[in-house]
Amino acid sequence: MRKGLLYGLLFTSPAILGFIIFTLGPMAASLGLSLTDYNVFKAHTAFVGFDNYSRLFSGEDDLFYKSLGITFYFVLLRVPAVIIISFVVALLLNMNVKGRAVFRTIIYLPSIVPAVASAMIWMWLLNPDLGLINSALRWLHLPTSNWLYSESSVIPSVVLTTLWGIGGTVIIFLAGLSGIPKQYYEAIEVDGGGWYSKLRHITIPMVTPTIFFNTIMAIIGSFQVFNEAYILTQGGPNNRSLFYVFYLWRTAFQDTEMGYASALAWVLFIIILFFTFIVFKTSKSWVHYEGGERA
Amino acid sequence: MSRQKKSVSVLIALLLMTVAILSACTKSDSGSGADSGNSASPASPSGSASSDSAGGEKSNEPITLRMTVWGAPEEVAAYKVAIAKFEKKYPNITVNLQHIPTDYDTKLTTMVAGNDEPDVAQMESASIAYPLAEQGKFYNLQDFLSSDPEIKQDDLVPNITYSLEPGNVIGLGPGPETFALFYNEDIFKDAGLTPPPSKASEAWTWDEFVEVAKKLTIDSKGRNASDPSFDPKNIKQYGVNIGTWWGNYSNFVYSNGGDFVSEDGKTFALNQPAAVEAIQKMADLINVYHVAPSPVQAKNIPATNIALQTKKVAMAIDGQWATAGLAQSKVHFNVGVLPVMKEPMTTVVSGMFSIFKSTKHPKEAWELEKALLDPDAAIDLLTAGTWMPSYKSWYTDPTLLAKWTENLDSRPSGYKDAVVDILLNDSHQTPTGYVKNFNKIMDIVNPALDKVWLGQQSAQEALDSIAAKAQAQVQGRRDVKG
Repeated sequence: MRKGLLYGLLFTSPAILGFIIFTLGPMAASLGLSLTDYNVFKAHTAFVGFDNYSRLFSGEDDLFYKSLGITFYFVLLRVPAVIIISFVVALLLNMNVKGRAVFRTIIYLPSIVPAVASAMIWMWLLNPDLGLINSALRWLHLPTSNWLYSESSVIPSVVLTTLWGIGGTVIIFLAGLSGIPKQYYEAIEVDGGGWYSKLRHITIPMVTPTIFFNTIMAIIGSFQVFNEAYILTQGGPNNRSLFYVFYLWRTAFQDTEMGYASALAWVLFIIILFFTFIVFKTSKSWVHYEGGERA
Repeated sequence: MSRQKKSVSVLIALLLMTVAILSACTKSDSGSGADSGNSASPASPSGSASSDSAGGEKSNEPITLRMTVWGAPEEVAAYKVAIAKFEKKYPNITVNLQHIPTDYDTKLTTMVAGNDEPDVAQMESASIAYPLAEQGKFYNLQDFLSSDPEIKQDDLVPNITYSLEPGNVIGLGPGPETFALFYNEDIFKDAGLTPPPSKASEAWTWDEFVEVAKKLTIDSKGRNASDPSFDPKNIKQYGVNIGTWWGNYSNFVYSNGGDFVSEDGKTFALNQPAAVEAIQKMADLINVYHVAPSPVQAKNIPATNIALQTKKVAMAIDGQWATAGLAQSKVHFNVGVLPVMKEPMTTVVSGMFSIFKSTKHPKEAWELEKALLDPDAAIDLLTAGTWMPSYKSWYTDPTLLAKWTENLDSRPSGYKDAVVDILLNDSHQTPTGYVKNFNKIMDIVNPALDKVWLGQQSAQEALDSIAAKAQAQVQGRRDVKG
């Protein structure tokens, strides 16, 4: 038994060491740095206690609240959109139709396109004058939009671009769907229920663990949105897409205020922890695990 | 049997662990890159013994200098030419050139954080050069300049010297870049209009400029912007592309007698009448006269060479570096002097080369710096149009001037007046070179100006609304003592 443990540890050691060296270590370091005024270019670093944190919350740095608000707005728009759309797509892909494998591939394909490439494609699609989307709208005599270039539409536009890459979430939903035993549906058919009853009483309850997992992943992923701001908008127009992590990166690598940026990072960590915790807490009332008991 | 299998797997596991640990440590090895050149070249001492006459007073101990640059491939090629010349002159010195095309500042910041600075680095005055200089990371090049037998500060063209404060030079630009009005000659010929003058003394006033721009802005039905039935929603050809970054509007702010900060460096000045008027006039080109694309529409306008060639715009305000692309695309372009608000003026921008204090070989680094400024080494970039020379003699001595301004696609007939003379007589230092904390001030100004270019606010409203916040970031001027 003890020997088993030893081998177990030995074989997992690359992963464990990797975690300690590349994740836990830097995290501890950044926690320490967040209590200092560490600036890459300055020779002396002093311990400043919670000064960085009080500067954040004091309102002196209005970009902190602005970026936080923008990020919340983004999360609020994106998480429900990702969950609902990928669930619907997964349902469609789960139907027994001809060419199902082809459709599945098409849906998943964008997920393997590099973020930069897909962002460039979206920049063209959303171009206000020449873009395909506005051209199509004009052709249909519908109102057009400035998409990424106007303050009011930039966040919804960014959400739209990220929805293209929901392939991963869809796959997880598909796995959840295929785990539902056929006899449940047969039972409904015997009782005379239609597709709505199947969806409402079998499919949705049975995939709640998957919804739960995907929701948490979507929340974490959305709070950490960065690529889109970096490539598509550079935080503009008028700082309207200054996502939290983009602001953090700018503080750390353009303003070189690593101490302050570390404090920003830890605040985000606490926020994400808090929301994950909330979802976990509420999950008891809506997530069903096979076998009847609730988690 | 099973025991043997186990020991094999233990071996593999150990191997994996070692790999993991080793790969975690590599960074600390490369950290000492500057002196690893010394130990890793056992072959060179015998080779360099015969060649130290060229180096003169230098010893023949082998030296490696590390240098970082950004830039397009042709610029890197020019650096390589300069370096090859330099290495020939000093056979004991090897230059390790690192080209960092993207995220340069981030990478350099990381090097500084890891105590792994290069010896000589190209630096950007608008971003990290001054924050680093304020921490004393660079040599004061004034000390080298004042004792150097070959080159004096007076030999350099104006406004390519970057100083932290008077007397503390932190970087020298390899060449200045001015702004000018580029135009497609065919468009003017077809429209029967007189092209922009090239001499500063004959420069257009702003109103004359607006009138011409109106006539050259054409909608999809062929009507121009001075026609009452002109349709500003379907513009086929814009009169002028103005570009809305600080480099472009600084020309007109200066021309109108304005500035980014007051003369004593104590007050934010972009919300003062002179600067506001200049910025408002530029914004009016977009939102009142519809002769210039807004920042959103400008996303569809290609680079100046293609924009002029495809007649998407008739004129473009751009840096002199645009001549390289224009020459390559064989468009019939010419260059005129910028329209004048109060007096002719161009901002001079340029990168710079700085020497890190951490270098072990400051003398050799200075020699390398000089080699990079040498116009002869950069002759390909000068004739292609990308650069202008750093030595004054290359502007004043007719034979040297001819070398890079005559019989070249990149140097049309207006070039000497509109670019060379303006640089010598009516040029202004880039704001990045004398406004302290420029970055932080612009982080506040740029988002506010977004609204001005889009016509949602007047320049006065937008700049007044952020004046207090910008004022809080004003820390003075570098060209004023104290």
